[in-house]
Amino acid sequence: MSPDNEKLLVVENLATTFSTAGGPLPAVGGVSFELMANETIGVVGESGSGKTVLTRTIMGLQQRTNVNVTGSVLLDGHQMVGASEQEKRAVWGTEVAMIFQDPMTSLNPVMRVGKQIDEALRVRLGMSRADAKVRAIELLELVGIPSPEHRYQSYPGQLSGGMRQRVVIAIALACSPKLLLADEPTTGLDVTIQAQILNLLDDLKERLHMSVILVTHDLGVVATRTSRIIVMYAGRIVEIGSTREVFSAHRMPYTRALLESSPKVTNDPHTRLVTIPGRPPNLLKLSDGCSFAPRCSFATDQCHKERPELQDADEPGHAFACWNPLPATRKRTVKTT
Amino acid sequence: MSNFSQMIAEEEIALVEKPEKSEPLGLLFWLCVGWIGLNIIGAIFANVLPLQNPQFQDYNALNVGPSLHHLFGTDDLGRDLFARVVYGSRISLSVGAGSMLIGFGIGSPLGMLAAYRRGRFDTILTNLMYVFLAFPAIIATIAILSFWTPRSLIKIIVVIGVASIPLVYRVIRTATLNVATKDYIIAAKVQGATDRRILLRELLPNIAPIGISFLLIGVATVIALEGALAFLGLSVLPPTPSWGNMINESRTILQQNPWLAVFPSLAMCLFLLCLNFIGDRLRHHFDVTEVKL
Amino acid sequence: MLLGIVFIISVGSFYLIHLLPGNITTVIEGPGASPSNQAKLYKLLGLNKPLFQQYFIWISNVLRGNLGTSFISQTSVASTIRAALPIDLEMMFLSQVVAFATAIPLAMRSARKPDGWLDRIFSAGSFTLLSVPSFIVIVLLVLFVSVKLGVPHTGPSSYAPFNQDWIVNLESMGLPTIALAIGSFVVYFRVLRSDLIATLQEEFITMARSKGISQRRIMWRHAFRPSSVALLGTAGVNIGGLLAGGFIVQYLLNIPGLGYTLIQAINESDYLLVQGIVLVVSVGVVLINFIFDFVINIVDPRISRE
Ligand SMILES: Nc1ncnc2c1ncn2[C@@H]1O[C@H](COP(=O)(O)OP(=O)(O)OP(=O)(O)O)[C@@H](O)[C@H]1O
Ligand SMILES: [Mg+2]
Repeated sequence: MSPDNEKLLVVENLATTFSTAGGPLPAVGGVSFELMANETIGVVGESGSGKTVLTRTIMGLQQRTNVNVTGSVLLDGHQMVGASEQEKRAVWGTEVAMIFQDPMTSLNPVMRVGKQIDEALRVRLGMSRADAKVRAIELLELVGIPSPEHRYQSYPGQLSGGMRQRVVIAIALACSPKLLLADEPTTGLDVTIQAQILNLLDDLKERLHMSVILVTHDLGVVATRTSRIIVMYAGRIVEIGSTREVFSAHRMPYTRALLESSPKVTNDPHTRLVTIPGRPPNLLKLSDGCSFAPRCSFATDQCHKERPELQDADEPGHAFACWNPLPATRKRTVKTT
Repeated sequence: MSNFSQMIAEEEIALVEKPEKSEPLGLLFWLCVGWIGLNIIGAIFANVLPLQNPQFQDYNALNVGPSLHHLFGTDDLGRDLFARVVYGSRISLSVGAGSMLIGFGIGSPLGMLAAYRRGRFDTILTNLMYVFLAFPAIIATIAILSFWTPRSLIKIIVVIGVASIPLVYRVIRTATLNVATKDYIIAAKVQGATDRRILLRELLPNIAPIGISFLLIGVATVIALEGALAFLGLSVLPPTPSWGNMINESRTILQQNPWLAVFPSLAMCLFLLCLNFIGDRLRHHFDVTEVKL
Repeated sequence: MLLGIVFIISVGSFYLIHLLPGNITTVIEGPGASPSNQAKLYKLLGLNKPLFQQYFIWISNVLRGNLGTSFISQTSVASTIRAALPIDLEMMFLSQVVAFATAIPLAMRSARKPDGWLDRIFSAGSFTLLSVPSFIVIVLLVLFVSVKLGVPHTGPSSYAPFNQDWIVNLESMGLPTIALAIGSFVVYFRVLRSDLIATLQEEFITMARSKGISQRRIMWRHAFRPSSVALLGTAGVNIGGLLAGGFIVQYLLNIPGLGYTLIQAINESDYLLVQGIVLVVSVGVVLINFIFDFVINIVDPRISRE
């Protein structure tokens, strides 16, 4: 087990570009951050901001021939960028595992769920068939599936969405990874199940001493469950900091817009949610300036012409990319009109 | 935020689809079209073209190999093989075209109507067609042709054509269903466009690519089937040449004159290859999902 | 459903006789026509009774295994069919084993790197073969293998029954097997390849990769089964065409299977035999199709729930 102050993951200047019929598409454009052992970091951003691509690139799952990855991902000492499939295979499952966005599509529909858990145990940990089965049933129990012996024999189609996501989590945990990438693990589920799954993840993280990257486009989800937050826009980090800082002392107008557009339990009934005006940029035609400028009410000429780099805010570890940041006041109350 | 993702999705569709749609058909495609055209012209104008008489038996030139005088050589009766291959294409082409005319003429209006109307009409018709689809069509064709004597070209065309109706029906119905549930068709309906107009102006152009590529592949299948029937002695009878019965006749003297098997086989395979290739390219060109024959 | 189809097939086969032009008894009995034969035929087919009664007489005979006695060869139609059928089954079995055994691994290779050079070669090759009917394949095979190369026991009339000389039997089955297997291979390869490529795009494949298991395992354990539904469906549908192809091959090589018997019967106007073969073969094809549907349900639990 890694001590808490050890860097588990170091991402440096990571860029993922797809070559498409319309030209190169920079889905992730130069991302750097670090993750400590046993830390949970949230990644938020609108749909299409590159969250999924970022997590898959970190894990090295992109296999398509039309993708180009540059930069560096050091995962517990393993360089994932440019590693061969075989090298990555040694890391997958045991060092890093992933929970996918949609539990309806991420399980093999024609394989019993038990077999899908077994597989990792037998292939990666070399367990015998019988041992693997015992362990798989333990895992099903761990993720809160009732009558696990029975469910072991089920096909994914016989399970509800929440159950399936629990199975996906069980598979991810099978080889006790140090880092868990959870890509919107609850988007496809209904609200009550969402909370259950997230609580389960929290609980497991504590028990199994993992680091977690929790991706979502809902700030409410990360508020109580992460120590730090990364805000992404158009494939870049536009703000990063401790959860408290990002919520109460964010500097980037996009972060505020994002906060204002997410529903909160504390809102009065019938509160109108603010939507962010305009639409996300076309990644094929990114301007030289700040990608958010066309939608930003504070934008100046400079914003349209020059891209702002991440700069440190007052609090250590808090950084934002903006030419005209919001004033650095504490206890910013998010205005909802 | 969902409308953002929707917009992104739309944007993506626009980005991905446009360049693919304008993907050129390629030189090979046009070569195939040319070859098919040449065959059709040859078949139609065979008696006008400067060909030798396919029935004329030159006893001074039995089983000679290819030469300038006899491009493909002659057969065991001294008949010019080139002329026979060209004349033979008439049978193959008319069976292919004729039976598919029947199959599509009946199957596709029914398929379109069923998919557009839905309801009882669709349910009954579709179930009926599925029963016939479970029927081994080839066996049925063989059976009917062997009992329905005397055999003639028309009967062959009718039997194969009718046998193909359920298959055509299924393909066209599925294709129409995919289009008919699209928003713009529903919009047209709501705006009060007549059924006739929707069927002809909106649906037909949209399913035409699938229809055409399936038609071409269908013609290829039928031509091969006619060849098979000729082997069984169920197609037109010699001395009328057809590619099938020429190949069939050749096998008794395979040893002396292999050309007799090679040239009609080549003519047939090349023709089928071109048809299949055109059908396949068209399907890709219009980005139609695979329809299995 | 199954019963309905079998019923329609039986009606169709029954009615075939009435397609014959002229006086049915004289046409069917051919040169063997005599008052006693005529009486037999009347008893078997119930001629002169209303059509639906004729059908019941005929079908009750069929259900008791009585397909009539050929007036041409004076042998029972049922026993002729029983003698020929194993040959067709052997031919189909061998050709399908070869077709699957080649199509599956090649499709797996192709789908792993779609548009790679290996895939391009396989795809172009299979596309070309798609346009070569099996009767041309067999003629060319006979031309090159048995005529030009002179390989023994491959030419026409070299068939020997399996229980008489199984080596010669298998040798003589070589060319038919190849000819029929090529046709099936082409279809299976193309269907499986395109399904595999689609399956490999699925999220659950990425999920399986993220477990760190080998590519081989992913292909066989995860991608193959969900991709094989269309393959099985096609195989079921393919049986009818395969049989017809087999008929021609048998006819060309004088292999006394159902096809050979059928063609002889057609040429000799032995209509009762033709009718019997048509009935048996059609019902057989329909049954095989149903078996395939059943297997598909087992392979893909998604389908049976829909
Ligand atoms: N294989 C690919 N080829 C081309 N473009 C891609 C590919 N995968 C992703 N993209 C593009 O990368 C961008 C980022 O996509 P990504 O899926 O990472 O967004 P996201 O933040 O996860 O969104 P969501 O919240 O909807 O999951 C999108 O514009 C998408 O179109
Ligand atoms: Mg995503």
